[in-house]
Amino acid sequence: MRRPLCHVFGIALLVVALAGCGASSDHALQLTLSALATPIAKAPPSTTTPPVKCQNLTASLRPPATLPAPNQMPAGSFMARIQKQGYLVAGVNAGLYRFGYLNPATGQIEGFEIDLVRELAKAIFNNPNAIRLVALTVPQRLPFVEQNKVDIVVDAITITCDRRRQVDFSSVYYDAKQRLLVPASSSVQSIGALAHKHVCASAGSAPIQVMDALPAVDRPVPVGEPQAIDCLVALQQGLVDGISTDSSILLGFKAQDPNTNIVGASLGDVPYGMAINKAHPDFVRFVNGVLAKLERNGTWQQLQANWLGQFGPRQAPPQPQYQG
Amino acid sequence: MWVDENLTLEGVGTAVAPARSRRRGAAAGAAGWVRDRLATTPGRLVLVQILVVVGAVCFGAIATGAEQSRERAAKSARSQTERLLVQAKNLYTALSDANATVATGLLSGGLETAAKRRRYLNDLAVASGALSTLTREAGAAANAPAALGTIADQLPTYSGLIETARANNRLGFPIGAAYLRQAALLMTSSLLPAADHLYTIESERLNGDYHTGTATSALVTFVAVSAVALILLLLAQWYVTRISRRILNIPMAVATVALAAVSVWGIVGLLGAQNSLETAQRNGSDPVEALSATTVLLSRAQGDLSLTLVNRGTDVTDPLDFNAVKRVLERPGGLIAEISALAGRTGTTAAAHTFDTEYAAYQAKADQLTGLENGGQLTGATGAIALAPQASAISEQLSHDLAEQIDAAQGRFRRAAADATSSLTGLAFAIPLVTALAAVLALVGLRQRINEYR
Repeated sequence: MRRPLCHVFGIALLVVALAGCGASSDHALQLTLSALATPIAKAPPSTTTPPVKCQNLTASLRPPATLPAPNQMPAGSFMARIQKQGYLVAGVNAGLYRFGYLNPATGQIEGFEIDLVRELAKAIFNNPNAIRLVALTVPQRLPFVEQNKVDIVVDAITITCDRRRQVDFSSVYYDAKQRLLVPASSSVQSIGALAHKHVCASAGSAPIQVMDALPAVDRPVPVGEPQAIDCLVALQQGLVDGISTDSSILLGFKAQDPNTNIVGASLGDVPYGMAINKAHPDFVRFVNGVLAKLERNGTWQQLQANWLGQFGPRQAPPQPQYQG
Repeated sequence: MWVDENLTLEGVGTAVAPARSRRRGAAAGAAGWVRDRLATTPGRLVLVQILVVVGAVCFGAIATGAEQSRERAAKSARSQTERLLVQAKNLYTALSDANATVATGLLSGGLETAAKRRRYLNDLAVASGALSTLTREAGAAANAPAALGTIADQLPTYSGLIETARANNRLGFPIGAAYLRQAALLMTSSLLPAADHLYTIESERLNGDYHTGTATSALVTFVAVSAVALILLLLAQWYVTRISRRILNIPMAVATVALAAVSVWGIVGLLGAQNSLETAQRNGSDPVEALSATTVLLSRAQGDLSLTLVNRGTDVTDPLDFNAVKRVLERPGGLIAEISALAGRTGTTAAAHTFDTEYAAYQAKADQLTGLENGGQLTGATGAIALAPQASAISEQLSHDLAEQIDAAQGRFRRAAADATSSLTGLAFAIPLVTALAAVLALVGLRQRINEYR
């Protein structure tokens, strides 16, 4: 009996050894599954700060009596550095219809603001095409100026006291108003009618702060989307009851969706300024000089007619205010 | 010799208390019956007969069970789970490819090319086909219904958003890009995770089949019961030889040889099947999985790259995700390294080398695009949007080459899995049949001896 038992053990050992030879390779599976489970990267959330008050909000640096001729920027000035660089780097918006947007038909970023950038390039290089456009998000706009990643940002930035601490602004180049866009079927005629309803604006933008500051009885529930255009998507999908933002943006929305109306009184002035690094006051003065010239010689009015005229009443060019 | 020396056992332990339960009474009756049989040589031969029958039934049942568990697993892997894994892979890659294709297509302007449109529609058709197959055949698997439901619910929403994006894009409205962004978000945050879930379920089911199909316990069980059955038969013959004058009991010897033969056949078959199944996994489904995951991640990278441009530099999530995917692919021991290692194993190093070259070209093009985009060079002849189709073309070539490699790996899987099941062919019938035959032969052999006492 002992001998056969030995054989059983012997055979069993052999079997275990044979089976062990080809241990199953689960490595590929584990690697594959963990690689596929790579989470979608998330951007850090943007933050808003409470608004502060200041004197002479829209006053900018006085332009020089005469502008330097193109390609003859004063030595040592920031404009001379741009001239040496060969092109003007401008942060712009690529999603504001007619204002600054990438035209899918042409594959070019175009609009009112882009033509203003071209006018600046014309003043520096005598070449409106000597530009490089950087499309920015709302949270990127000021940091790109502060970090000198762009020479100037022309991206529908509202001049605020907060922002003036971070960057210098040109004189106002477009006077927008904060208004309300609602579906054409809506009976809403003012922001008060949307109290406790969802009203959309781009996250971290001035319109959100304006809505937050409304008296409780009128205050809507602000909904922040990454970009203002996402608010129009939300409105078309019935996810929000209205959009409150700059009239310039709302005009573009109405142009993209005729089933909407711009209603209500102005919720506030939205003066747009071009943002420039605080280290370059000479460039601020130069830009202000160019803007004043464009308003004087009718170029500003022509650009408004070209890009924005078809969506609403034309407005007079903003009155520049200077100090210092 | 035929006067039994154990006669003294007679009468031992017959004192059964009358108050005992019926069962104890029955047990005592059976014990008494066994004692009666043990008393005489023919009686003992009858007991040996019973032992042989019980042993044969046990052997037949256990050996067939062990063989069957492996055969079922091998057949399941061959005809069911691997096929469903491929369907889950098709669903996953088609969805991610659709997302990358449509983002790339809408990037190039108001009108995407006809080829891009066809590719997108084809992706949707593949995804729908895979979805219906999985719903039909994998619906019962744990958690699969929720994931299948998510995809069935949201795929129409996704395609609706895409069509809205196209319509607006054709009109030149920037809101088209916003719809595209929303569709891409739905894809990456909801549809692809559900597809990933299904893929995980199916790959783990296939892996379960591999584990069952190569389980050491089944082989050990088979060898053990074969050994026990053979020893039982040999002991019975030894006993018969001892009590009879004949050295050889021909029916019992034939039974022993038959049982030994079927045992050897079984062991050879089981080892062969195990070997084939391991080949199927190592050379077949392992590469399929690694190559499929790479396809999915490369689509995701291409989608990120395109969306970075479609979002026109206004979104920071997509470049972050592109870099995250790149790290997962390229890290030491990551998917790219795994593909090289698997290519070495399967002798497809030429294809792997082509892949490496194309992948390097793709990353170089992606770096160039990212540099242009960060520098504001979105537009113009040398701008990111103009150069984006080059990255898209390399990406399509990569996914085409990966698909070819996956096809080759599936071919290797099918051949090895077919070998695995054919190694076991016939055993399911042969084991019970030969066992029954051996039992009958052993009974006949023993009956001859018993008859000598009549």
